Amino acid sequence: MIIIHPYAKKLINGKRNPKNYPFWKELISLINEPIVQIGIEGEKQLVDDFRKNLPINELRLLIKECNTWIGVDSFFQHLAWSENKAGIVLWSVSDPLIYGHTINNNLLKDRVYLAKNQFLWWENTEHNSDAFVKPEEVVKLL
Amino acid sequence: MPKVLCSVATRGRYFTTLPLVLSAIINQSKPVDKLVIFDDNDEPKDMRQELIYQHFFQILDFKKIAWEWVFAEKKGQHHIHQKANEMGFDWVWRVDDDAIPEPDVLKNLFSYATAIDSIGAVGGSILTPPLQFEGYFPTGKIENIDTEPNIQWSNISKIKEVDHLHCSFLYRAGVQDYNLGLSRVAHREETLFTYGLKQKGYRILAAPHAVTWHLKNPEGGIRSESKKEMYAHDDQIYRNIINYRDKTIIILNCGLGDHIVFNKLLPDIPNPVIFGCYPEIIPCRSIAEAKALFGDIEHWNIYKKMDQWKWTDSLENAYRKLYL
Repeated sequence: MIIIHPYAKKLINGKRNPKNYPFWKELISLINEPIVQIGIEGEKQLVDDFRKNLPINELRLLIKECNTWIGVDSFFQHLAWSENKAGIVLWSVSDPLIYGHTINNNLLKDRVYLAKNQFLWWENTEHNSDAFVKPEEVVKLL
Repeated sequence: MPKVLCSVATRGRYFTTLPLVLSAIINQSKPVDKLVIFDDNDEPKDMRQELIYQHFFQILDFKKIAWEWVFAEKKGQHHIHQKANEMGFDWVWRVDDDAIPEPDVLKNLFSYATAIDSIGAVGGSILTPPLQFEGYFPTGKIENIDTEPNIQWSNISKIKEVDHLHCSFLYRAGVQDYNLGLSRVAHREETLFTYGLKQKGYRILAAPHAVTWHLKNPEGGIRSESKKEMYAHDDQIYRNIINYRDKTIIILNCGLGDHIVFNKLLPDIPNPVIFGCYPEIIPCRSIAEAKALFGDIEHWNIYKKMDQWKWTDSLENAYRKLYL
């Protein structure tokens, strides 16, 4: 079983979070394993098994059970790291050298897409689909 | 050679003690690298129009001492000192607008600061005539602050390591933040600041041969609009912080992921007291309580710190730098 955590926290200004991966549909179609999506109420459902608003302890148990996981730069990659479970992180504007963990496959297309200031809120950073790797490159790592 | 900024905050003393202070700074045997005057007057003037100040500015130019006149925000001197603290110099020499340093003060403070390892701040005697505190032997310990005169109020005859300084001193810049949660009067701001440097592992010195004459001009002054309630508010923050001096105060006013990353280094932190947002990750007290206890909590803001440090290493190591 693979866990996917597709969305970073919603932005206060309602804009699309620039850390959100834009090609989930295509990526999911390339995966031949049961997928569990985790997230919160209000997020778009991408697979049949969508588990919303799980408490931290249940997330930890789920992480232990999974073969691996795929996610964006959000709390989940830190939680999986704290459980010593390696996965794939799909990066765009935030810097994996600062916010990532070396146990993971940190897929950053190019450092030219990184936000100049890594320490501000993400509200003023525009979403750019070009900043992400394509699904074919992600599945190679599974 | 480490660079020294001299910072003067002024209010209501354009034509009384401020010219004496500027003259004394200009005539230091060790020149400062830059002089910045923070003008906190309600009705600031363009002092380039005043003859005596024209002379000062010309002498500064002649001596190749950079200078800047900044109109301050009227929030109190702690905000001013924090600005100076962040101006990119190695050391800041803070001088009050009614405190007249003798000509060798900076030279001697600087020699102690740079000749001895791990100095956070060094201050000399701050004397107000007539001298009232000769013959006392203050310890300079924080626990004795309510029961003894400040060590700087008398002639300091030999170097002494202390817990805190007041009024005017030379300090290592960019290491410790001023507490911006204090009121406009900023009571105890220098005590909290220098004690904070000490808690970060730096040494605080009271040094001889560095006398500043504090004229305590009753007119003007950066604290001139003081109110009793402001002093009480600031004193409470001071006492709360001092009461936690044997603990490591941790404030996690940040996201869930940040809490998870921080949690990894928690076992390495001595005597932690934690305030945070996600008790399901780390048992903690509330951020509201932290604000009520300590005033300003921005100096525990890991993102502000990483920005200040121009950080390129991991978030986990940034937490290590902040707390260990």
